[in-house]
Amino acid sequence: MKLVILGKGGQGVIFFSRMIAQAAIKRGLSVRSTEIKGMAKKGGTVEIQMKIGEGMSGLVRRGTADMVILLSNDIFDYAKTFGENIFSFNENEVKTALSSVPMRYVNTFLLGVFVKKTGLFECDDFMDLFDEENKKSFIKGCKYVQS
Amino acid sequence: MLTLYLSGNEAIAHGLVQAGVRFITGYPGTPSSEIIPAAQKLVKEKNIKAFIDWAINEKVAFEIAYSVSLTGIKTAVTMKQVGLNVAMDPFMNSAYVGTDGAMVVVSVDDPGPHSSQTEQDSRFFAMTGKVPVLDPSTVQEAYEFAKKAVQLSKRYSIPVMLRSSTRISHGRGDVKVEEDFILEPINATFKILKDWDKKLPRYAATPRQRLMLHGLLNEKIAEIEKLNELRTFFSGDILILSSGAVFSYLYELIEEHGLEDKVTLAKVDMPYPMKKFDFSGYKRVITIEESMPVIELQLCTEGRRNGIVPKQGELTPDVCEEILERIGLIKKGKTISVPPLKRPSLCPGCGHRIALYALKKVFGKKAVYSGDIGCYTLALNFGVTDTVLCMGASVSFGLGIKKAFELSGKNQDVVAIIGDSTFFHTGIPPLIDAVHYRVPFLTVILDNKTVAMTGNQKTLSDHVSSFGEPVTPIVIENVVQGIGVKFIQAVDPYDFNSSIKILKEAKKFLKENKEPAVIIFRHLCVNTKEGLDANPIYNVKILKEVCKGCKVCITEFECPAIFFNEEEGKVDFDKTLCISCGCCVHVCPTKAIVLI
Ligand code: SF4
Ligand code: SF4
Ligand code: SF4
Repeated sequence: MKLVILGKGGQGVIFFSRMIAQAAIKRGLSVRSTEIKGMAKKGGTVEIQMKIGEGMSGLVRRGTADMVILLSNDIFDYAKTFGENIFSFNENEVKTALSSVPMRYVNTFLLGVFVKKTGLFECDDFMDLFDEENKKSFIKGCKYVQS
Repeated sequence: MLTLYLSGNEAIAHGLVQAGVRFITGYPGTPSSEIIPAAQKLVKEKNIKAFIDWAINEKVAFEIAYSVSLTGIKTAVTMKQVGLNVAMDPFMNSAYVGTDGAMVVVSVDDPGPHSSQTEQDSRFFAMTGKVPVLDPSTVQEAYEFAKKAVQLSKRYSIPVMLRSSTRISHGRGDVKVEEDFILEPINATFKILKDWDKKLPRYAATPRQRLMLHGLLNEKIAEIEKLNELRTFFSGDILILSSGAVFSYLYELIEEHGLEDKVTLAKVDMPYPMKKFDFSGYKRVITIEESMPVIELQLCTEGRRNGIVPKQGELTPDVCEEILERIGLIKKGKTISVPPLKRPSLCPGCGHRIALYALKKVFGKKAVYSGDIGCYTLALNFGVTDTVLCMGASVSFGLGIKKAFELSGKNQDVVAIIGDSTFFHTGIPPLIDAVHYRVPFLTVILDNKTVAMTGNQKTLSDHVSSFGEPVTPIVIENVVQGIGVKFIQAVDPYDFNSSIKILKEAKKFLKENKEPAVIIFRHLCVNTKEGLDANPIYNVKILKEVCKGCKVCITEFECPAIFFNEEEGKVDFDKTLCISCGCCVHVCPTKAIVLI
């Protein structure tokens, strides 16, 4: 599977990529990735290309990504160069995340939403990657999709 | 065996420490900067005695690590590819004299370039210095080759280069690492008097002895060359040679396009030194390598010489696909055009921005601003940087250009802009020349007490080392004063009015005295926790009825938290980015931005 995760610094791009990678490694899959961080720390684009269970390098050619996870909508056109299948969170999901868990756990909530919605992984794959608080927030995210 | 999800730089650190390296130094530079912190973390976790910390610049780092290798200890030095230029003098000598412990020179290239001045190829430098070089193709190999480099160096008493690149160093992967670490006591031995007479001609060689050492080096290289075999994959009659990250892209493309019976792919683990091979069984022999023709020149193959491989730019998988098309192996689909991303800016609230804005106010648009390597290079976005060459060149440029104006009878102001870490790195020698030759230009030192651009490494102004031991902070004012600069002022740029006053005084001083002036703008980097915690809070708001939509606050100041609201024709703040530093109130000519 070829993934590209895109967003701005501070939006959790790195967090998402690490969690997905850990979950895949736990399943015994190979993970290769590459990180390109722009010079600007805040507001600059962060781009992760990742191959799971295939390939030797982490690089994903334009137009070949199975999914692009986009955390910042203003780079939609750029994201599209990697592939047509773009996943992003809608306003409701972000709002619910912000209102149901403390700021620090918003990312884990959204990860829960992502896992449940895409079905690329099982929620169980992630459970022992988290501490208690993150786990609670992750489960809330998973449950939000079910409801 | 453990499986860890490591970056290439972490993998390199792991390999080095595991192979017994106990002394690592270097200078930060993207994409090499994470090796030293990763190694520090590892020895702390494993409770291993070692010295692993930053040096003032790459030349010094190299010399320190190299001298330690002469005492029998296994050492490494890390840098980015342009850092190797700074270390070239000791580097070129090191293979002649050789090592006693072991020494690995980690040099990380940046084809692209993503964050460098050049696309130079460290493997070429290795060939020039007659230093064997290993070139990993994956993160796993980064780990393995780091260990191999230590062993090779130890075995042949020669420094060995480990060349990485952005894609390897900033790549990640599941890496299988051994659980055991070599644990041997550190025991430096040097100058044992009974055999010192015999050893001295090596450590302090005269030119005649150098010639002998060169002969010995050639013998070592010939030995190493013999061991250097190719690893081949697939079985076609077109042979493609490759090394480094590019090998992995080619491997993937050959599988993806089903070229297994058309192409034989040969992997070169050690691009220098290479012996000759018999390629007579192949129809064509082509080298695809990053970023200069190192293997191609040694083995006389096709590649860059006949235009198959581009001479500039990163050989990404997309570019590799084009190369395969040029060879006539595939037909590539249509090329996808990529829209540009927003250019980077200084962080919201960055002290550099307001300092350089004040500088522009006082010295005006006509002054020449010679810039340097650091976050503040981004001031070129709002017109306060006219030149960027290499580390420390801002001060030399200030001297040179001012002198040229003087010779031409012109009265144009010149200002050099340099960060604290870059000043220590290579900014001091040109300032000494400037004092000596009495050249009246201003040097602005932006002191944020960190190497910000490469991820906030420690600087010489710290009180404790990375291991918590006390170290002596180096005070910039004392250095500048010691050189003999008469005008030295330090100010927090957030104090805008004082900054303007001091800048005006400096301008006056330069007019009246024929000698250089120095201003130190001191404000912690707000991209660090300490910096952000210590930053004052001044909430701002925009008076919409006053804002004329002139965009001065955007074009002349460029805080990412200020954006233009096209519908209203006025500006707004992005509250998720704004850190309430209050600096922008000094910028709006109509006073539409005010403190709350
Ligand atoms: S990292 Fe620090 S020095 Fe660099 S732009 Fe951000 S605040 Fe300024
Ligand atoms: S805030 Fe001031 S500087 Fe910015 S657009 Fe409005 S009037 Fe111009
Ligand atoms: S207060 Fe003004 S200058 Fe400071 S971060 Fe906010 S918008 Fe930018």
